[in-house]
Amino acid sequence: MKGVARELAFLLRDRGVLLFLVVALAASSVAVLLGVVEVAQQRATIAELLAADRAERQVVQAGQTDWGGAAYYTFHLTVDEPTNFAFAALGQRDVSPWKHRIRLLALEGQIYESDAGNPDFALIGRFDYAFVVSLLAPLLLILLLHDVRSSERAAGRYEWLSATSGRERSPWRMRSGLKVALLTGCLLFPLWIGGLASNSGAGVLASASLLTALHLLFWWGVCSLVDRCGWTSSVNLVAACGVWLLLAVIAPAAIQAAVDASIPLPDGGDIVLTQREAVNDAWDLPKEATMEPFVARHPEWEDHMEVTRPFEWKWYYAFQQVGDQKAEEISLAYRDGRQRRESLAGKLSWLSPPAWMERSLQRAARTDGRSALDYEDRVRQYHAELRAWYYPKLFPGLPFDQDRLAGVPEYSD
Amino acid sequence: MSTVLTIASGEIRLWRRTRVAVLAVSVFAIVLVVSCLLTALRISKAAEERSRQQAAAEETFLSQPERHPHRMVHYGHYAFRPPPPLAIVDPGVDAMTGQSIFLEGHRQNTAMFSDAHASADLGGLGSLTPALVYQFLLPLLLIVIGHAVMVREREARTLGPLLAQGVTGRQLYAGKSAALLGVAAVMLVPMLLMSAYGVLWGESFAASLGLFGIYVAYALVWCSAIVLVSTLGKARGVALGILASLWLTSTLVVPPLAVATADVAVPSEGKAQSDLRMQAEIRKLGDGHNAADPAFAKLRANLLALYDVEDVADLPINFRGVVAQSSEASLTELMNRYAEERMALELRQSSRAAIFGWLSPTMAVSSASRAVAGTDLGTHHRFMRETEALRFDFVQGLNRVHAQQLAYSDDIHRSRDPDAERRTRVSAENWQVLESFRFEPDPAGPRWRRASASVLPLLAWLGVFTVLGFASSGRVKP
Repeated sequence: MKGVARELAFLLRDRGVLLFLVVALAASSVAVLLGVVEVAQQRATIAELLAADRAERQVVQAGQTDWGGAAYYTFHLTVDEPTNFAFAALGQRDVSPWKHRIRLLALEGQIYESDAGNPDFALIGRFDYAFVVSLLAPLLLILLLHDVRSSERAAGRYEWLSATSGRERSPWRMRSGLKVALLTGCLLFPLWIGGLASNSGAGVLASASLLTALHLLFWWGVCSLVDRCGWTSSVNLVAACGVWLLLAVIAPAAIQAAVDASIPLPDGGDIVLTQREAVNDAWDLPKEATMEPFVARHPEWEDHMEVTRPFEWKWYYAFQQVGDQKAEEISLAYRDGRQRRESLAGKLSWLSPPAWMERSLQRAARTDGRSALDYEDRVRQYHAELRAWYYPKLFPGLPFDQDRLAGVPEYSD
Repeated sequence: MSTVLTIASGEIRLWRRTRVAVLAVSVFAIVLVVSCLLTALRISKAAEERSRQQAAAEETFLSQPERHPHRMVHYGHYAFRPPPPLAIVDPGVDAMTGQSIFLEGHRQNTAMFSDAHASADLGGLGSLTPALVYQFLLPLLLIVIGHAVMVREREARTLGPLLAQGVTGRQLYAGKSAALLGVAAVMLVPMLLMSAYGVLWGESFAASLGLFGIYVAYALVWCSAIVLVSTLGKARGVALGILASLWLTSTLVVPPLAVATADVAVPSEGKAQSDLRMQAEIRKLGDGHNAADPAFAKLRANLLALYDVEDVADLPINFRGVVAQSSEASLTELMNRYAEERMALELRQSSRAAIFGWLSPTMAVSSASRAVAGTDLGTHHRFMRETEALRFDFVQGLNRVHAQQLAYSDDIHRSRDPDAERRTRVSAENWQVLESFRFEPDPAGPRWRRASASVLPLLAWLGVFTVLGFASSGRVKP
């Protein structure tokens, strides 16, 4: 115990060590702070949108005179609320939309609309806790540990220190262990403060802390392997940075390229083109051409399929749905491809601990690719609910009732 | 002069002997060549694909059968953005924005299907493009190789004898710099080839040369910083530490910090928000589908007065088509106002972030590179504007057909009377109102203008480091 205190005193007198620890603490604090601000902004945006959407819907609905028109003119807002831990890993939220307005028309033409933020920013990326801990922290650790042995060797104390300590490895292990522990503390402290302020919950904070510690342990291993080779400090630093470059930059990019190449996606444009052709052709086709595939999917409306006039709302919505049905196969392939890319990337991310770290934090924060797909599924689900609500009014030709419009399903996250 | 050359060649001989330098150069070269090949393949495939899709979209539109012109307004059209030739170096925001957009009446859609949205995400720095390799890895390589150029002489106690032999500090500085510049020059060869390939592919010579020049300037900034730090440093470890921290700050810390602060300072507004804000104003304009909307009362009165008739049915033109035309015009004007606001906001955000180019050469080079390559936010905005003009033109063309070729009495009865419906279909020749659309890169001039704000910090860094290095080398002591 006395030894620990002595080493700690040594370390804290070392200006270099202090500098890197302060940098770590500052980086983590800034990242957490920016994350919290960003999440607050997203929440505020969502609240504002919800209010505006509600007001807008009331105005639109008040002017309606039939169910078809109500369904045509009313947009419904769907949102993907950030979780209480999202501040730590903003993940895909810069690239994938988290707010979306849809209406009862064919969904395939609407769901790929992307209302994401500034593309310049998405390109550069966010300074969030996940970034700090997966990319910056290993470098700081390397800077802290690259010369644990080599500096003593250079100072001519190495043999002497090894000889006088009880066990051969202990002074280096204790010294590096302390540095790792201090760095971990400097990274985690702001995270816990942010987590408490954001009400993240103990479980997610504990697992994030564990992940952080594991990640740093891995890099400790890398550093001690390099340090054991007996090179000079500079060569150590270069070698460890080389490993970082390989694992943190080149490996993720290579995995991404490999995953994208091995799982090709159908062209997104083909989905919407197919859907558009189906929807627009319907205007010129005999009504039965629309109503038959529709009834195949919805046998419950079989008795209400007769369309006598050139335009009827139920026929209009039927061909909207048939448009989705025609594009379904390719749309499913597109979704399935993204899912498979996502899960393959998850499996391969073990090859790159920083990528694995970042993905794990995004998973915990529900800001990863899978969560973006989940949101898309919830939008689909909600659209299906809208159809289920409107169809029993449209197909049997129920008389329009303004009061019942208030009962249209609300999107719930 | 010959002294300088001797020093430079001595330095290069030393590098060829050390394993670290050789290994670093080989790794860099491999990563660079692989990323160049992969990006060039990907981009040229995308360019081909999208030109094909554009042609196919036009063909489908023109080959539609005869129908009511308003059906064609909703049938809509697709516009695609093929990547510019220099995207093989820097694909820029293309991967983030999506490259196709659906154009239809009364709506301004967003671009769809971005690569980033569909591709696997593994964090890190994103996909390895030549631009990224040059921006991130080139300085690291130069640091690894060059951090000790001067400080080594000091550590090995060879600096004293050198100076005693009559070699001046300035000559040493020049020789060592020349050696490091030599390495940088070799590393820039692939960039030169890529730029040349861009010219072959139809890119303007000025832009290609400019892109190459930007990366040359960036490499020079780092070379001058490295030799400066090495000249001032007392020990190799210190020089390496300082340079590593500079690299860390410039590449990893400042750019995302710039993004975050710009986002907080200039809060952005998404499309959903501006759409909702716009709704109240849209309602005042009236619904173009409904010719009875009170918003068009004035239009109706004016027309009746102009043609001196009592009822819209007696007008020589189809009142519904006139309403569609006028409402599309005013709606578009309104939507463009909001879209312009949103784009201005995004540009304000980006230029706020670009100020950090004064703190980070990497930030500066990346935005300059996107601007000159024609893959920046400004180009994306131009794509949005041009596709919007395309949308407006074909929609109004169809509305004009609606107003001039369709009888009002048929038009209002078409939902109930199949014969009237048949008479409201116009010949497919009218679909020729669609202009063919090819998105072309900006000329070099405007791209340079957009890049200039970011090139300036690069040149300033270069000037400061060079002057400091030159000054301190004059007073170099063992």
